Amino acid sequence: MVAQSVTRRPPVGWAGAPTPAPAGLTNIVLTWAVMGKVTQRDMLPDQTKGHSRRNVLRVGGLLTLSAAVPSLTGCDPFNREPPPPDPLAPMVNEALALSAAYRDAATTHPTLAGRLTPITDAHAAHAAELARITKVALPSATPTASTPADSDATLTALREREQAAGESATRACLAAPAERAALLASIAAARASHLEALQ
Amino acid sequence: MNTPTPGTNSAHAAALTAEYAAIWAYGPIGVRLAGPAQEAARDAEAAHRRRRDDLVLHLTDAGDSLPADQAGYALPFPVTDEPSALRLAVEVEERTARFWQAAVAATSGAERERALAALVDCAVRATRWRRTAGTTPLTTPFPGRTA
Repeated sequence: MVAQSVTRRPPVGWAGAPTPAPAGLTNIVLTWAVMGKVTQRDMLPDQTKGHSRRNVLRVGGLLTLSAAVPSLTGCDPFNREPPPPDPLAPMVNEALALSAAYRDAATTHPTLAGRLTPITDAHAAHAAELARITKVALPSATPTASTPADSDATLTALREREQAAGESATRACLAAPAERAALLASIAAARASHLEALQ
Repeated sequence: MNTPTPGTNSAHAAALTAEYAAIWAYGPIGVRLAGPAQEAARDAEAAHRRRRDDLVLHLTDAGDSLPADQAGYALPFPVTDEPSALRLAVEVEERTARFWQAAVAATSGAERERALAALVDCAVRATRWRRTAGTTPLTTPFPGRTA
């Protein structure tokens, strides 16, 4: 389940160590672009022979430039893109917000607490697991929630949120790599069963 | 049809053995239940039969050999009355969910969608059976996960 995060670039802060991976990537892209240009010129019959020497020089020059790029990029901490956000990171907050909504509902309507508290805990457990696999730190602040004064309206609102959350877990599961799919499937199934428990 | 991920067919074959056992178990469960609960057992058995047929077709299409159904399955405890029948129904759904969760990780695309739908169905039925049995909590945090 952790394998996905291995391929991600480590986060680079102000004091971050230079990462060689992006520089290597630039190198390959540049080289390919040059080769593409040569091929295009080769296809024009009149220019082919006359420009071949220039092309060779150009290729040589760009190759030298591309060889220099890794060290340049490696030295420049300002020119680096931040690591792409983990697609599952928003699900941590989604699960925490759900947990908060159930906790608040159980406090406002103590008669529902028996039904709602296990679901509160399940959403919190999901948030912890999602934070673990995405290597996102669990926020310390608890999200706030507002609960309708009427218990029927409360249950309706929770059902709607649970339904939407179930759909988001399903989408995430279908798009996820194998090592994450099992956890996301379990979360989707839990949310469907919460919906059933709220009937 | 998706390119099969390594382990797809063995995960499907394992899910098929779980479905065989679930269908068998709903026999002794059904005879100990009455009224709406018995009807729910019949519906659950029919749902497992549909999953079984689907898997049989799928594995046959893939040219795979089918695991054999058994004449009978060892029950984890004797089913002698309504409470034990309901307890077994919960257990059957929880057990089958584990096989489908494994199939989710071993598949992609439409096959994963099907495995996920089967896992969700098992989790929802387990919740219904817990409610019928009067056990709480009605849900588990990670359906399909091996405890």
